[in-house]
Amino acid sequence: MSGLPQLVLFGINWVSFGIDFITFYALYLAISLSLNLEFGYTGVPNFGKVLFIAGGAAFGGSIAGRLAAYVLNVGKGEDFITFNARIITQVNNELVNDPTLSVELIVIALVVAAAVGGLLGFLASYPALRLREDYLGMLLLGCAQFFQVVLRTYTPLIGGSQPIFVPDPYSYFSTLGTGYRDLVAMVVMVVAAIAIYLFVERVVRSPMGRTMRAVRDNEDASAALGKDNAKIRRNALIVASALAAMMGALYSFYVGSVEYDTWTRFAWTFWPFLIVIIGGVGNNSGVALGAFFFTLLFKGVQQIQPYLPASNVFDVNSIADVLFAFMLLTILFLRPEGIIREKSSYTLKRGVLGKIVKTGTTDGEKRSFASRITSRFNRHRDGGGTAGDTQPEPAK
Amino acid sequence: MVPAYLLSALVYACLFSMMAMGLTLTYMTTKVPNFAFGDFVTLGLYSSYTAVRVFKLNAYEGSALGFMVGALVSAVMYLAVLRPLARRGSSLVSLMIATFGVDIGFVGIFEIYTNYLQYDLGHIDAPSFYALPDFSLGGYAGVDFVAPVSVAVIVLCVYLLFTRTKFGVAMRAAVENPPLARVLGINVDMVATVSWMLAGGFAGYAGGLLTVFLPGGTATGSNLIVEIFSSSVLGGLTSIFGACVGGLIIGGSEILGTLGLGLGFGTAGAIIIGVIFLLGGIALIRRPKLRVKAAGVIFAAFGLWILADMAAGFPVDFISYELVNGFGPDVTPFQQAIPLLIMVITLMVIPQGIFSINIRRLLGREK
Repeated sequence: MSGLPQLVLFGINWVSFGIDFITFYALYLAISLSLNLEFGYTGVPNFGKVLFIAGGAAFGGSIAGRLAAYVLNVGKGEDFITFNARIITQVNNELVNDPTLSVELIVIALVVAAAVGGLLGFLASYPALRLREDYLGMLLLGCAQFFQVVLRTYTPLIGGSQPIFVPDPYSYFSTLGTGYRDLVAMVVMVVAAIAIYLFVERVVRSPMGRTMRAVRDNEDASAALGKDNAKIRRNALIVASALAAMMGALYSFYVGSVEYDTWTRFAWTFWPFLIVIIGGVGNNSGVALGAFFFTLLFKGVQQIQPYLPASNVFDVNSIADVLFAFMLLTILFLRPEGIIREKSSYTLKRGVLGKIVKTGTTDGEKRSFASRITSRFNRHRDGGGTAGDTQPEPAK
Repeated sequence: MVPAYLLSALVYACLFSMMAMGLTLTYMTTKVPNFAFGDFVTLGLYSSYTAVRVFKLNAYEGSALGFMVGALVSAVMYLAVLRPLARRGSSLVSLMIATFGVDIGFVGIFEIYTNYLQYDLGHIDAPSFYALPDFSLGGYAGVDFVAPVSVAVIVLCVYLLFTRTKFGVAMRAAVENPPLARVLGINVDMVATVSWMLAGGFAGYAGGLLTVFLPGGTATGSNLIVEIFSSSVLGGLTSIFGACVGGLIIGGSEILGTLGLGLGFGTAGAIIIGVIFLLGGIALIRRPKLRVKAAGVIFAAFGLWILADMAAGFPVDFISYELVNGFGPDVTPFQQAIPLLIMVITLMVIPQGIFSINIRRLLGREK
C-alpha cells in the first residue's frame, strides 16, 4: 500500500500541505461567496452566518450517520448518540466496500443541509426584512450564539459536549494509500466551490443580479420600478443560507465529526466577512482573491508554530486572530472597497449596443432582445400599462 | 435571611444593568452596536484576576483597576478605530464589521495574555478560573452589597451629570443633535470620547465584580453579549436609564426564570404566569396592528391554557404541569434563551424600548 508522493522542503511536506491548503481555500471561498450573495449583492448583513453553516453540518452529519447505520443494519436497538463511536466505526468498515452508498450519503446530507439552511434562512428573513442593520446584526449574532449553546446542550442532535462522528464517505479511497482520502475530499470540496462560484456569478450576471444590486443601493427606486424588495431579500437570504449549510455538511464529512465548539462566530462569521471585505464587496473574483490571501495568512502563520520557543507563550492561533483584526482595519482604512472594486453591471457588447442605439434593431437572435427593449420603452413612453397593471382610479 | 437565589438574581441584574448602560452610551454617541463591548467586560475580568493573583490585592481593587483599563481601552478604540472610520464616511455595516474585527483581535490578545500568565507566571488557572475570593459581611457575600450600591451610585452620578452639570447637558445636546450642538460651541468629539470612556469603565467595573460571582475565562465577556444587547434593546438603545432598567429585568428574569423553570414555580407562581400571559395577550389584542393582534391571541390562549389545565388537575399535561413542578435541571444551560426571547419580543412589540410603553393606552383608556 503506497501513499501519495511526498515532497519535503524546509521541513514541510508540501503535498499534504497543499491538499490542506486547497481544501481550506475551497471551503472558505464557497462560504464567502454565499455571504457575498446576501451581503455583497443584496445588502443583508448576515452577522449570524455561523448559525446556518452549523445547522447544515449538524443536521447533515447527524442524519447521514443515522441513515447509514439504518441502511447497513448496524447498531440496531442501540442509542445512536451513546454508541456513536462504535456504530460509525462499523459503518465506515462497510462503506470501504460500498462507494454507491457513500455517494448517496453525501447527496442526501447535502439535500438535508440545504433544506435546513433554507428553512433557517427563511426564519431569519422575518427580522431581516423589518429591522435596521444594527438591530438585525445584534439579533442574528445573538441567535447564532444561542444556537451554539443548543448544539452543546441538546444531546440527541450531535451529542452535545460529547461530539459525534460522521460516517466517512471517502473511506473507499483510504484503501489506495495514505493521503488519497484527503485528496478526494479536497476534489469534492473544490468541485462544490467551483459550482457555487459559477452559480453565484450566473445569478449576479442575470437580470436578477441587477435587481439585487438595485435593492441594495436604492430601495425606493427599485420599489418604484415594481420590484418586491422584501421578496428579493428573502430569496437571497434563503439561497445563500442553503449554500452555506451545504458547505457545512461537506466540512463535517471532511473532518469526520461534528462538534459544538467548532462553530464559533469568529471562524464562521467573521472570517467570511473578512474575506469579502478584503477581496471586494459585491465582486466574486475579488472574493476568490481575498479567500486566497486569507488562507495564505492563516495557513502560513500555522507553519510558524514549531519555530516558536518551547515554553509556548504564544499560540499561533491567537496571533492569527490579532493579525486578522489588523488586516481588516487596514483594509477598511486604506481601501474600503476591497482589493478589486465592484464592477458595474455587465451589459451587451459594445458593437451590439451601438447597433441597437443606431438602428433600433440588430441581427439574428439579438433582434428579439432589441425589439423587446424598444417595445418596452415605447410602452412606458406611451404611458400604457401591461396586461397586469391596474389603471389609476379616477379621483372622487 | 434573604434566599440565595434572590441575591444572585439581584447581583446578576445589577451587573447587566451596568454593562447595558455602557453599551447604550456608546450606541447613543456613535450609533453603532459595539460587538467588541463584551471584551471590555473581559478586560475587567482579567484586571481583577491579575490584581488578585499577581498583585495580591482584592477583587474590588481589581474592579477599580478594571474601570480604568476599560475606560482607557474603550477611548482608544473609539479614537483609533471608530472615529477615523466614521469620518471617512464608512457605512453602518462597515463600522459594525470593524467592531467585530476588534472583538476577534481582543480575544487573541486575551489568549496571549493568559498564556503569559499561565506559562511565565505559573497561574495555571488563567484561561478559565473559578470565582475569586470575596469578603463576607453578616453572612452575606460582599458582592451582594457592592453590586447594588454600585448601580445606585452610577445611576445617581449619571443623573446628576446629565441634569446638574454643564458638561452633562452638553452631552445630551451632542447626542440629540450633533451639528446643532457643534454650532453652539460644544466639543462633540470630546463628549463622544468621554461617553466611550465611561462606557468602557462601566463594563470593566462590572467585569471585575463578575469575578467574585461567577467563574471566568477568555470568552466570558464575549459570550455575554446576548444578554447585554437584550438589555440595551429592551431599554430602547437611546435611554441610559432605560438600559439600567432593561439590565435589571434581563438579569433578574434570566436567573429567576431559569431557576423557576428548573424547580417549578409552584401553584401560585404558575397562576401568576398564566394571568400575566392572559392579560398581556388581551392588551396586545386591543392594539390595531394585525401582527400584534395575532401574537396577543397566542399569548392569551397560552395563559388561558395554563390556568384551565391547572384548574382541571392536569388532564393533558402540556407545559402546565412542568411550570408548577419544574422541567428539571436540563433547562439550566439554555438560560440564554430567556434574554434572547425578550429581545425578540421587544423588537416585535416595543421596538422603541420599555420606556415607550404608554400604560394608559395599553389599558385602553386613551386612543
